[in-house]
Amino acid sequence: MPDLSVAIGSLRMRTPVMLASGTVGYGAEYEGLIDFGAVGAIVLKTVTVQPREGNRPPRLCETEAGLLNAIGLENVGIERFLEEELPRASRLPAPLVASVGGGDVEEFAELARAAGEREEIAAVELNISCPNVERRRLPLWADPDRVKEVVVEARTETSKPLLVKLSPKAGDVVSVAQAAERAGADALVVGNTLPGMRIDVDARAPRLGNATGGLSGPALLPVNLALVWEVSAAVTVPVVGSGGVRTADHALEYVMAGATAVQVGTAVFSDPRAPSLIASGLARTLERDGLEDVSPYVGLARKRGGR
Amino acid sequence: MTVARDSYLFTLDVPREYPEPQPGQFVQVTTLAELVLRRPFSVAGFRDGRHLELLVEVRGKGTRGFAEAEYGSTVDILGPLGNAFTPPAEAESAVLVAGGIGVAGLRYLAEKLLVEAHRTLALVGDRTRDALLDHLFPEPAGGGRYRVMTATDDGTAGFHGAVTSLLEDQIGRLEGNARIYACGPRAMVREVARIASASGLPCEVLMEEIMACGVGACRGCVIETEGGYRTACKDGPVFDAADLVLAEADDDGP
Ligand SMILES: Cc1cc2nc3c(=O)[nH]c(=O)nc-3n(C[C@H](O)[C@H](O)[C@H](O)COP(=O)(O)OP(=O)(O)OC[C@H]3O[C@@H](n4cnc5c(N)ncnc54)[C@H](O)[C@@H]3O)c2cc1C
Ligand SMILES: Cc1cc2nc3c(=O)[nH]c(=O)nc-3n(C[C@H](O)[C@H](O)[C@H](O)COP(=O)(O)O)c2cc1C
Ligand code: FES
Repeated sequence: MPDLSVAIGSLRMRTPVMLASGTVGYGAEYEGLIDFGAVGAIVLKTVTVQPREGNRPPRLCETEAGLLNAIGLENVGIERFLEEELPRASRLPAPLVASVGGGDVEEFAELARAAGEREEIAAVELNISCPNVERRRLPLWADPDRVKEVVVEARTETSKPLLVKLSPKAGDVVSVAQAAERAGADALVVGNTLPGMRIDVDARAPRLGNATGGLSGPALLPVNLALVWEVSAAVTVPVVGSGGVRTADHALEYVMAGATAVQVGTAVFSDPRAPSLIASGLARTLERDGLEDVSPYVGLARKRGGR
Repeated sequence: MTVARDSYLFTLDVPREYPEPQPGQFVQVTTLAELVLRRPFSVAGFRDGRHLELLVEVRGKGTRGFAEAEYGSTVDILGPLGNAFTPPAEAESAVLVAGGIGVAGLRYLAEKLLVEAHRTLALVGDRTRDALLDHLFPEPAGGGRYRVMTATDDGTAGFHGAVTSLLEDQIGRLEGNARIYACGPRAMVREVARIASASGLPCEVLMEEIMACGVGACRGCVIETEGGYRTACKDGPVFDAADLVLAEADDDGP
């Protein structure tokens, strides 16, 4: 049996298959449906300082390219998250990663400290795609200087591994990635959803209550794969691929582009078995290729072609 | 089996250990492999612990694909999911109000009520006679405790008018207490909720919203209630009508 384990600092994962933030809630909702034993880590739903009601419905719209969602970061807020959701999630047999979203630098720091303090939390992911409250020229996710400040402050508040989840919306994702790395990020997640919308022609209105939302699923795979390719060439910390992963081969594409691990989100909706099927598929491929672990695949495509 | 234009009744053989669904619950079905989301359908019947029935109206790609599935093919379902209708108290008559394919959400409840010989009045409405799905409610096995009445917008069958007008017409004739159960288009649900509240009768409605996870994880399927947003998949799909915030602007539904 090949060894699928990978690590991001002290975050040790049985398999490179992580569950993406927001798609499995606080984990417990999927108890009995997802084989958490095959999962590297569960990234919990992004939590903010104050509870958030989220956007008005409809919040979902399926398109030919993938899924549009406009949840609006509905969450119970950090206090209830730590009191109620975390104890439930900690029963699950996989390490937990807290995803935090701040409106400004101070909030990110506060959230990183509060979540990082808890022993149930193995690592902290900064969701810099959150709507930010400050009025600035650039939104946070596109602004390398601000991202650096956020990561520096969060870094001083916790010694747990710090993942920074980048947005493909940023014009220059590589610069944001490098800024996050220099500021002390232990890994970069590439990346979040792309903006999108659909209109119901009969109703003459947007299909989402919020008009626009984030596109996930199949359409995101080639987009974020190219970003993983670019980012992993420009940084030395591990990169985690996210977007459209549904099969073991999709995961391997990200790995061969330079990722150490992947996150699975939308695919869980159509099949809660997807994470464990991806993990077992990876194991089979390793066996077929006579490999002991995943590391020889990381960035392999670069050695074979391209730049 | 085709049961009306573009509506189909499916019988799925489920494993012996399949949990018995409660009326109001639904399953998430993989209708087409290439779709990103499953599609939710109410449990429309459950027989002998082995046969799960779904009643599906073709609306778009997923329901079309499901309707075209070959007899004998394997279907991937998740569930039973969600909460259930509150059974009527001994002394309450049950009034079921179904608009269009809303029959699907109430059929299993109707079957249970018939078996229990509970005093039941089922009202079924649609645009026109050919679309009506009243024949999918169980046949009354004699006795006057269970009745089905129909309404059509064009008057081609039953009461001429909306099923909600039929409800208003019938509500005054009920003896004793009653509990209302509704499933159908948002505009109908809103009107039923108004009538129930005006007559002081308890009323539960089955709410539809587009769903992703189906288990309360993604917060994608929320319904607005007096207490804030609640998930249709986990907190619902059955809601107390008095708790719902039903705006006219949302009448088109998801
Ligand atoms: C709890 C629940 C129980 C349901 N039970 C039944 C049932 O027993 N029988 C039945 O025929 N239908 C039922 N529905 C509705 C059914 O799920 C939708 O008609 C179906 O998902 C549409 O899929 P589609 O791919 O054919 O349409 P799409 O191409 O996805 O969309 C076509 C139209 O249907 C709307 N729609 C999409 N998804 C939903 C949804 N989940 N709910 C309502 N409207 C939707 C879209 O906004 C669009 O206007 C139920 C829905 C819910 C939430
Ligand atoms: C319904 C839904 C909710 C999401 N919520 C969050 C969230 O709270 N925080 C976050 O960082 N990403 C969130 N995402 C993005 C996913 O974590 C993931 O990065 C993205 O969907 C791409 O991966 P996928 O194609 O595998 O879904 C959400 C995605 C979906 C579909
Ligand atoms: S569909 Fe995910 S919360 Fe209801």
